[in-house]
Amino acid sequence: MKSLSVAALAFIIVLGVLFVYVAEDIPDFGDPNSAPNRYVKLFDTDAAGLVDELDNGIIPDSLNAKIEEIGLPLPSEVAKLKEGEWEAVIVPEELHYAPKEQKYYFIEKKGDELWVYRYALIKRFVEEGHHETEVPNMVTYILADYRGYDTLGETTVIFTAGVAVLLLLRRTGKRPE
Amino acid sequence: MPREDRDTGKGKSRSVVVETVSRLMVPFIQLFALYVIIHGAGGPGGGFQGGVIFASSFVLYVIAFGIVKAGNRFPEHANIALFSTGVYLYAGVGLLCVICSLGAAQYLNYGFIPLTHHFEENRALGMDLVEIGIGITVMAVITSIFFNLVWKREEIEKGED
Repeated sequence: MKSLSVAALAFIIVLGVLFVYVAEDIPDFGDPNSAPNRYVKLFDTDAAGLVDELDNGIIPDSLNAKIEEIGLPLPSEVAKLKEGEWEAVIVPEELHYAPKEQKYYFIEKKGDELWVYRYALIKRFVEEGHHETEVPNMVTYILADYRGYDTLGETTVIFTAGVAVLLLLRRTGKRPE
Repeated sequence: MPREDRDTGKGKSRSVVVETVSRLMVPFIQLFALYVIIHGAGGPGGGFQGGVIFASSFVLYVIAFGIVKAGNRFPEHANIALFSTGVYLYAGVGLLCVICSLGAAQYLNYGFIPLTHHFEENRALGMDLVEIGIGITVMAVITSIFFNLVWKREEIEKGED
């Protein structure tokens, strides 16, 4: 019996070390370089003459043409984040809700080129998911793969609820004959 | 023809029709539950839904045959073991990913489990394993809650006699 408890203690320590190790792997919330927030590159183009237009909040026609060529929705506004970085957003025309801009494109100046990225959350979940996981059901691959940590927590919540009910309602005496 | 209740002996009648139909229906409900769990990757379904459908087959069994017979069929200690088996299966798949990714600490990144040669298909199969884990836990918890409630009621009724 004593060797069993020593083994259990060792197991718990190993499990704790494992979870600390795993927790180190989780990116910080809001980290722009974490996997869900990372941008996906669409194309690059020559930067000559476009920087001033972007700084003034105008989307150059050549960028619009390229985005239209890919078949993605056109941005309606562009905002400067800092020197050489812009964010192109789409303000949806909704009647009954306060329109909240949606982050769509991220433009970065690299040397003489402008690199246009797409914000990755929409891109990965909706467009790349089937390709990345070989599962046709969008709900399942988001629930079990991209949000795997979340679902592990949900399962633990159900487990905890079951244990709580068991502790409250567990039969004290013998089963009724 | 109504029979006397074997559970409590209080003369509650049970119907032959209900018993026969339940005996026929329970395997099909369980098969459907397994289908929903396994089919979660390809269509609507998944571990949560399938687990609840599986538990509903035990609920039907209790309604038709009484808690004593159901308790003999599905003993409580097996139920409690299944409670944690599902969560352990889920967390174990994640641990397997950490081991197979060789120090990259890709917890719950199913692509690293060497089931097939394709990273994407490994992810699909890992998802299936995880769904099975969820299904086991949900089934055991719902069944346990229902069984315990019925047992509590039987205890109270017995105490009032």
